[in-house]
Amino acid sequence: MRRMNPSHISFVLVLTYLFLPVAATLIYSLATEWNKTVLPEGLTLKWFAELFRDFPFLQALGRSFLLSGLTTVAALIVMVPAIFVIVVYAPRLERWVQTLVMMTYAVPGVIMAVGLLRTYSGTGIPMILVTAGAYVVGLLPFIYQGTRNSLRTIHAASLMEAAELLGASRGRAFVKIIVPNIMPGILVAGLLSFSILFGEFVLVNMLVGGRFETLQIYLYAKLSKSGHIASAITVTYFLFMAIISGLAVKFSRGNKATRKEAAS
Amino acid sequence: MKKGNALLLLAVIPFGTFVVLFLLVPVISMIWGSFQTDGGGAFTIAQYKEVLSNPYYFQAFQNSVLISFLSSAIGIIAAVFAAYAITRTPKHVRERLLVITNLTSNFAGIPLAFAFIVLLGNSGVFTLLCKQLGIDLGSFQLYSWTGLTLIYVYFQLPLAVMLLYPIYYGIQEQWKEAAELLGATSTIFWLRIGLPVLLPGIAGTFSILFANAMGAYASAYALTGSTYNLVPIRIGALVSGDIFARPELGSALAVLLGMTLVAALLLNEWLTRKIRRNLS
Amino acid sequence: MSYVQINHLSKKFGQQTVLQQLDLTLEKGQLITLLGPSGCGKSTLLRIISGLSAPDSGTIRIDGKDITTTRPKDREIGMVFQSYALFPNLTVAENISFGLEMKKMPMAQIRRSVQETIELVGLQGKEKAFPHELSGGQQQRVALARSLVTRPKVLLLDEPLSALDAQIRKTLQKQLRSIQRELSMTTVLVTHDQEEAMAVSDRICIMDAGRIVQQGTPHEIYTRPRCEFVARFIGSYNVLTAEELLRLAPEFSCSSAKLYAIRPETLRDQEMEDGIAVTGTVDNVTMLGNITRYEISAVGVRLFADYLHHSWEPQDIGRKKTIYLDPKDVIPLDDASA
Repeated sequence: MRRMNPSHISFVLVLTYLFLPVAATLIYSLATEWNKTVLPEGLTLKWFAELFRDFPFLQALGRSFLLSGLTTVAALIVMVPAIFVIVVYAPRLERWVQTLVMMTYAVPGVIMAVGLLRTYSGTGIPMILVTAGAYVVGLLPFIYQGTRNSLRTIHAASLMEAAELLGASRGRAFVKIIVPNIMPGILVAGLLSFSILFGEFVLVNMLVGGRFETLQIYLYAKLSKSGHIASAITVTYFLFMAIISGLAVKFSRGNKATRKEAAS
Repeated sequence: MKKGNALLLLAVIPFGTFVVLFLLVPVISMIWGSFQTDGGGAFTIAQYKEVLSNPYYFQAFQNSVLISFLSSAIGIIAAVFAAYAITRTPKHVRERLLVITNLTSNFAGIPLAFAFIVLLGNSGVFTLLCKQLGIDLGSFQLYSWTGLTLIYVYFQLPLAVMLLYPIYYGIQEQWKEAAELLGATSTIFWLRIGLPVLLPGIAGTFSILFANAMGAYASAYALTGSTYNLVPIRIGALVSGDIFARPELGSALAVLLGMTLVAALLLNEWLTRKIRRNLS
Repeated sequence: MSYVQINHLSKKFGQQTVLQQLDLTLEKGQLITLLGPSGCGKSTLLRIISGLSAPDSGTIRIDGKDITTTRPKDREIGMVFQSYALFPNLTVAENISFGLEMKKMPMAQIRRSVQETIELVGLQGKEKAFPHELSGGQQQRVALARSLVTRPKVLLLDEPLSALDAQIRKTLQKQLRSIQRELSMTTVLVTHDQEEAMAVSDRICIMDAGRIVQQGTPHEIYTRPRCEFVARFIGSYNVLTAEELLRLAPEFSCSSAKLYAIRPETLRDQEMEDGIAVTGTVDNVTMLGNITRYEISAVGVRLFADYLHHSWEPQDIGRKKTIYLDPKDVIPLDDASA
């Protein structure tokens, strides 16, 4: 056994710190009663059963899925072709995209909300659409990063030239050659985007609030009501995140595997 | 050829429209609004004057800077060691650790604040455990600044590890070997070569963490609503619809906060460029 | 007794044997080259001498002292890495003085030694530059200066020139050799470039699969390859079986060897005393700079023949050509390594 040095100790502490709140919430969501004793008095699934019979919860879950899913798809459709065109045909514009990426970082939800409320409240445009629009722009850093890296790995510019020399139009070459090849990278970027939106609270709460109750807003409303139910919601949320990360890892692995095959 | 170019334009226009409608116009409108009198109508710098002279808002900035600085510092120090430990683990372990770290980085905002309530709240699991074992937690309170700092540290840690971890790959194994052959101990290597090389990366990561904490809203909001006097909480209160709404003042606060973030991000970019140049 | 003595060195990585029972000696002031294809174990040998890797068994003695288990920093060994491993945050002068500072040498003396070494490698005026501001050749010279300045007992060079382009490589080879002679620095050079090995070495050790298969002066190695591996690796030798050789030249009296090597430039196109005439068809003619290489097939045997200053006539291809083989130039090979 090697000597423990500061980096090992710190590593164990960090992992414990990251793990403890998750574990506490998980146990609490499974505990019958846990108010006075060190360990819960008994284990039960009744909170989850109660939660999944709760119609407003299912509705909130559905709304979160719908909002995050549709927005992610829209963002991919809008941004992937644009990033492709800029990276391959107008690399000078990439500096501007990078500036925009930095802007989205400099304008976190709470600042964005101020501008969006000023611009769109009272115009008759449904605020949920405004929220979705802001989400699309907010996903730029992740989609830009993922798409650009994928385009670089497949040497998109040469592929396009080859396809055009063989007689394909640009549009056709993009759909038939580029998109299938960058698909794994796009899927990973999409899953990452989805999980970010799924956890978003600030914008949707300030712009729409109770009129479109997402999972996050529903959880916020339940915080002061029942600890066990809120725990069950948190655990459910965490499980969804775990599944999505698992899928992302699987896709990025598959991506590597196909690359290896191509190399051999 | 003409047709091809039209296609290119067609691909960029929707993207540009989204950026203009949901980023540029709102930001400009916010900046414009920050120079307006309450309710709009006339140009003024009174909103900025008020932010800078009112001790309440000044304190909000002070609190925000303090908690952001503290949580970033704790996060980065822990992550410097933890990320190094991760680079030393075998490849399959390393990949798993990174997935877990990435997963916990999604655990933020409302769910995170709630998990801390379960753990450390007034009847939290850990609090009860300490009571049972007779350990005195002193005056510790989750709903205090200390408590909030703990939550901030939690969401800074995974981000710090994910950002720092690749920087360690800039340290070539052969530098260590060369230093060893020239008579340097491991400590001397890290002090003279390793840390100085990592420093721009560490500082860059720190500025990202700082910006991340400065803009954080949900955790503090989930814990006590608008009790904490932090800039994002003040902005939220001034803008969203209760009776005390003063959107122009909120805009001024938001512009100042945005400028802080831009400064932090520019610092990061400058430092990153420095690393790239050093390692070329 | 030799200055450096390596006895029965073995090293395995998992299942793979990298060095097997390797012996090597080195005289003081000599430059010896370890030459071999990648994966032959030459870099591993270098790392074991430096102490950065430990051998499974065997001993290393330098200047009569057993250093097999000595820590790297106490071995007094200098090493130049393939990637140079310059410290990016230190200037040229700081990189060079690093080793002296670790020895806690007085400042004034450090400054003097650093200045001398900078002049020795010709980097005057670059003292305050950072590594990323230098060209590849200059970086290489800083790396050399950094490992020379401490006056190590043995200098190890791990493919020090492989990252540079051909022109600079040639110049630096000469410079490296003259500095090594000037300081009479005992040096081990690892390379996979046989021209480089020929140009700079006192002695060359050819390595294959963790063993030294032949060692000698560059001249010995080039003119008397002992086995097929060396013959093929060191030059573009024609390697023939006894049976092929007899088919080609029935009057040749074979020894017991099964394989024979013939250097392409010893095949003349003019008649000579004792020369055995071989007639075949020219399959191909290639220009190799100042040499023209003919590819000739005769009685089912393919031969390469090199001629200096020969104007290449494309119409030669497909024609009959007679070349002459001097039996003295046919080198019998051991078949042990095959």
